[in-house]
Amino acid sequence: MAQPRTELVVRPLSGESLPAILAASTAVQAGFPSPAQDYFDGRVDLNTHLIKDVNSTFIVRVAGDSMKNAGISDGDEVIVDRALTPRDGDVVVAVLDGELTLKRLYIRSERVLLKAENPRFPDIAVDTLSELTIWGVVTRCLHHV
Amino acid sequence: MFDSASLPESQRRIALVDVNSFFASCERVFDPSLEGKPVVVLSNNDGCVVALSKEAKALGVKMGIPWFKISAWAPSVGLVAKSSNYELYGDLSSRVMSILHEFSAHVEVYSVDEAFLEVKGTPEELVALGHEIKAAIQNKLGLPVCVGIGRSKTQAKLANSGAKKSAGLNGVCNLDTFSPEHIDRIMEALPVDNIWGIARRLSKRLNSMGIHTIKDLRDADPVRIKKKFGVVVQRSLYELRGIDCIKLEGERLVKNQVMYSRSFATPVTTRKQMEEVLAVYAQRVSKRLRKQGSVAGALTCFAGTSRFANEPFHSPYRNAVFSVPTNDPVEILKAASSVLLECVEDGRKYVRAGIMLHDVSPKTSHQYLDLFTPVHESRQLGEVLDTVMEKHGAFSIGLGAAGFKSPRHWEMKREMLSLRATTRWDELATVHAK
Repeated sequence: MAQPRTELVVRPLSGESLPAILAASTAVQAGFPSPAQDYFDGRVDLNTHLIKDVNSTFIVRVAGDSMKNAGISDGDEVIVDRALTPRDGDVVVAVLDGELTLKRLYIRSERVLLKAENPRFPDIAVDTLSELTIWGVVTRCLHHV
Repeated sequence: MFDSASLPESQRRIALVDVNSFFASCERVFDPSLEGKPVVVLSNNDGCVVALSKEAKALGVKMGIPWFKISAWAPSVGLVAKSSNYELYGDLSSRVMSILHEFSAHVEVYSVDEAFLEVKGTPEELVALGHEIKAAIQNKLGLPVCVGIGRSKTQAKLANSGAKKSAGLNGVCNLDTFSPEHIDRIMEALPVDNIWGIARRLSKRLNSMGIHTIKDLRDADPVRIKKKFGVVVQRSLYELRGIDCIKLEGERLVKNQVMYSRSFATPVTTRKQMEEVLAVYAQRVSKRLRKQGSVAGALTCFAGTSRFANEPFHSPYRNAVFSVPTNDPVEILKAASSVLLECVEDGRKYVRAGIMLHDVSPKTSHQYLDLFTPVHESRQLGEVLDTVMEKHGAFSIGLGAAGFKSPRHWEMKREMLSLRATTRWDELATVHAK
């Protein structure tokens, strides 16, 4: 019996949309082809999944490696939501000396710290959060692998 | 979403939300070092000051002043100039408007940085709503706004300028929270040309009738005002009394006029160069038409030399009418160059030119005229040009004289342009990790 041929259909990507990945709506069990596999809910849209509020979200590019241990490298893009309330442990964009700066925020009962994820960089400590200008909270890192 | 449906019609009010020093505030979003500094934004080609921060106003810089007149002085006072970053302003503007839609089902976008909203509630509720709107735009975008609330658009405008000027209001002013005597005092203190829609020239005529302040106009005889100044001024009078006469408009489907006009980076001095300019502008203006699916019935074409040069000011200005409404770049170019080029003189230094299309209407309303459609239009030449330019760049294809040369020397100069950080992947703002 002849092997069934796998048809590979190549379609041009339209210029307007991001290349997208087709998502199966049901989990696929290994070894057993699900009869539902052929039904798709539409393409995964990165905007939908990575951005909660399109109005308050901005993408910025990282320069420097002080956040390396947080998995954020020089040249990566990070997604920042300006509407989120900064909480203890968040990676935030803070305004320091007129520049947008990436740090991890620690809110302790006695003081507030901005720390780099690299011991070579000193911490910035203040008494209360209101002394800092937090520009936004980082929600995702688009790391270049 | 603010639920206004359950409230009585009598509590319906108009709110005017506008961004303080919009262009300058946009420049500060990705560059916090500009916070508190005097900032000006320059027109096309870094020509004149078109926007100022309040710090720049405090230095005495005036709107419209040519940049070259203050550029030498600027560093000594820490004044920072930026080229117009239309991409950034446009994106932030659309974010502002989209946030405003969360607060009211009825929003009239009035300009790039202001919108009228229909709102309902008690005076106190509306002040709270105003603060909520202000906080939302500040938190989400980092842009400062003021909110004015009144019973009419004119009252909302007045309240908005109050919100801007008196620091105690904290950016939100609802006229309903003031006593009638207090409103009298405010209106007595403001000259009549502070009213939305009352130009200075008109205010002089009003002055001669004894109407000097806003209160004078509000309390004038409406019949007499209509007789002397027409229905527009009468409407302002009623609006000041709190009678809502100027309805909120939705977005207009087709704009009645489409224009493409720019200043040149270096002067254009020959008829041949001007023909090149018109060829490019015809393409660009017709693209705008096609984008909104419309055709134009007539055009105005103009060029001008500098008002600041030693040579006499020369500004030819010509009109042409199309036999059949069109959006075809070839037709537009033919019309523009045939009327304008004969008044363009070799040797003069032209610093700007433009094509304005009038009598713009949706294309579908002209379908019965198909027989008279120009040949190249029926071949959809314009659409082909648009597609090629989108795929291969703006200089890959051109009409006749516009040719392939790229980029031409008279193209726009934007030397102090900030990053187009929200519309260009290669210009994202930098966040430092150091």
